[in-house]
Amino acid sequence: MTPTISAAPRGALAGIRVIDFGQMVSAPYCAKLFSDYGADVIKVELPEGDAARAAGPFPRDVPHPEKSGLYFFHNTNKRGITCDVAHPEGRRLFLRLLERSDVLIENNLPQRMRAWGLDYATLAEINPDLVVISITPFGQTGPYSGWNGYDLNAFHLSGASSRYCGRPGETPLEHGTFAADYFGAVTAAAWGLAAVYGRELAGGGQQVDVSCAEAIAAAFVGGQNIGCYAQEGRFDKRTGVGMPLGAPATILPCRDGHVWMLALEPGQWNGLRKVMDDPDWASLEMFQDMYSRAQNADVIYGFIREWTMQHGKMEIMEKCQAAGCPVTAVFTIAEAAAQPHLQAREYFVDMEHPQLGRLKNLGAPFKLPACPGGPERPAPLLGQHNAEVYRELLDLSAADVRRLAQCNVI
Amino acid sequence: MANQLPLKGVRVVNFGWVWAGPVVGQTLGFLGAEVLKIESAARVDMTRNLPPFADGIPGPDRSLSNHACWAGNGSVSLNLKEPEALELALRLIATADVVVENFGPGVMERLGLGYERLREVKEDIILFSMPAAGLYGPLEHVRTYGLSLTSLTGLDSLVGYKGGEPVPVENAFSDPYAGIFGAFAVLAALNHRRNTGIGQHVDFSQQEAVMQMVAPAWMDYALNGRSGGPKSNEHPTAAAAPHGVFPCRGDDRWISIAVCRDEEWQGLVAAMDNPDWAATPAFATLPARVAAIDQLHEHIAQWTHEFDDRELAARLQEHGVAAAPVLNVGDLLHDPHYCARDTFVEVTHPLGFRETIYGAYVKTSRTRPDIRPGPVVGQDNERVFRTLLGIPEAEYERLKRDRIIY
Repeated sequence: MTPTISAAPRGALAGIRVIDFGQMVSAPYCAKLFSDYGADVIKVELPEGDAARAAGPFPRDVPHPEKSGLYFFHNTNKRGITCDVAHPEGRRLFLRLLERSDVLIENNLPQRMRAWGLDYATLAEINPDLVVISITPFGQTGPYSGWNGYDLNAFHLSGASSRYCGRPGETPLEHGTFAADYFGAVTAAAWGLAAVYGRELAGGGQQVDVSCAEAIAAAFVGGQNIGCYAQEGRFDKRTGVGMPLGAPATILPCRDGHVWMLALEPGQWNGLRKVMDDPDWASLEMFQDMYSRAQNADVIYGFIREWTMQHGKMEIMEKCQAAGCPVTAVFTIAEAAAQPHLQAREYFVDMEHPQLGRLKNLGAPFKLPACPGGPERPAPLLGQHNAEVYRELLDLSAADVRRLAQCNVI
Repeated sequence: MANQLPLKGVRVVNFGWVWAGPVVGQTLGFLGAEVLKIESAARVDMTRNLPPFADGIPGPDRSLSNHACWAGNGSVSLNLKEPEALELALRLIATADVVVENFGPGVMERLGLGYERLREVKEDIILFSMPAAGLYGPLEHVRTYGLSLTSLTGLDSLVGYKGGEPVPVENAFSDPYAGIFGAFAVLAALNHRRNTGIGQHVDFSQQEAVMQMVAPAWMDYALNGRSGGPKSNEHPTAAAAPHGVFPCRGDDRWISIAVCRDEEWQGLVAAMDNPDWAATPAFATLPARVAAIDQLHEHIAQWTHEFDDRELAARLQEHGVAAAPVLNVGDLLHDPHYCARDTFVEVTHPLGFRETIYGAYVKTSRTRPDIRPGPVVGQDNERVFRTLLGIPEAEYERLKRDRIIY
């Protein structure tokens, strides 16, 4: 049977209306995944705006609420309105919006949602079909659910840093980005979209409670470690090298930066030897398998480093890859941005923002050939779509909207 | 019927191997899909042979980490080098909604399972491919480990001690990340199929999906031309101070403290009993604290190191400060928060032993998945080949004997 093809090209999530009541990274990025793939996402901000508007990065480091890079990135393809949910009339408007929506995505601490009278029980009563996606550092239940917390606290509560990142005895490290927020965001997007897709089977909407710490503790750290600890009572910690049990498997410096040096299997090791012009030391008995190489890590990393320091990262990567060895350049952000590969795949998109001007953005995170996604419209200015959205969804007149603005409700 | 899992009735055939592909299946499986991993005793996945093993006895059905990472998947065994096995795979795909794979580009075509071939047996099939760098482009055949894939995104250049060299993350954070993210992509494609009747071949480049995580540094590059570097645990956009991990009493004990707002700073100062240094103008405002962050962190570390991490976290929380202990693997299993949320669950494996894996790490209020350990090789053969595909018993026995179903 030939499927019916709809007239206009529409995004994969067309027909789903989302209220994004998030700030900073986790909920806004989750909602961006919905908006960039075609859902109608309305970003609701308190009158003071999303905290990301104050978090930068800003052009020339000059703070400006309409020039935050963080806000720009995470709020593409959304319409933006303001609403003071702490004001009784604002709360009523917010609940009326939720009556007409499929999904709420939010990342406020649970006590804050309760204080606003926006706890899940209240929302489910207003709209039983609403899927409420809550993304918080610790989750809606459990002893830490009342704690204050941010991305940093969630990441380090997951076991990931103690186990996998940093030198022994020194400070455990996060990734240099909002790693817990992003992990929570994609987790929430997958579980939340399933709850929307299967709403009839599930018997209505539901609350999707994502703890960023828990998602990482389970799916990253727990998967590879918890069975061992439960059975044998022992566990490992960070070592500061890439892979302590096999070598070479670590980041090494080279002439113009760093490379991820990996040559574990015999074919890979032989490839690396060839690229290095088969130096004498490489035929030593202690370097003949990945385990004995790891036992002599200091020696072998010293030898390999002597070679890498004489070569550039791209040359090392290209020669090693051609020789069957999975060595990659450690790209800086600027180098990552200049990759012909990503340009050939049209990963980068130029966008125009009323305050930031023209700038290069990252495009869709994955390609759906039948219904391409990705950012097209820039993040909204604060309250940019107040008149349009309040009229279209709640049937408010221009005069109503003016009055609400005068009373600081919107 | 009310209160079913939301993806009940969706069938996924999963050729995924190692970690990322199986996690796509796991995520969809936890949400109610029927997920059948295709594998074979002719080429056992390396993760099935990762120690430690249940009760210390080696075997491809006894790897504890494999059972956690593959939970949610079923298993059907087919030796795809045999033409008859390929035909059986295609018959199974004809009944399915989604096919998942994480080989390199072109491998599915060489197996005789390319997208066009799949469409011949199921026109609206969704094929989800997640190669390291996507299905096409100059780097399409790049060799990476999950461990090092992140080097191609710029992410690895941001990890390390302030001002120092990049420090490698010692496991593939990107594997479960891309696996769960991939489930979202599959769901988007399913939603499009529901709207339009059209399936598609999803090109999920792990590099591109993971690269979105560098957004804070990316934006500083796009706006200011700067390329960031390692800065320990400082805030990614320098919008908070203190923002770090500080030593506590005991061996390798630490606490994370993040202060974004002035009320939180006042809470921290009160919790420290108002030390003189904290009252100086150098730390009076957020921009001042950010500018003097090294000095600020030194002061705080001198204060934290005498305290027990959990007691200090509780004390700081009483003052409204975002603080939490830094847990190690040993702490996770008995941490009261994870215990209360059933993050880790003890389950009985079909072979009889008890083992601990992770459970439904997202709490859904209407329906909760039933978590069972990752599959025994071929555990769903009988049901799939006899019941679903209707293969007569004698034929089924022959296929097993001939190592087609193997």
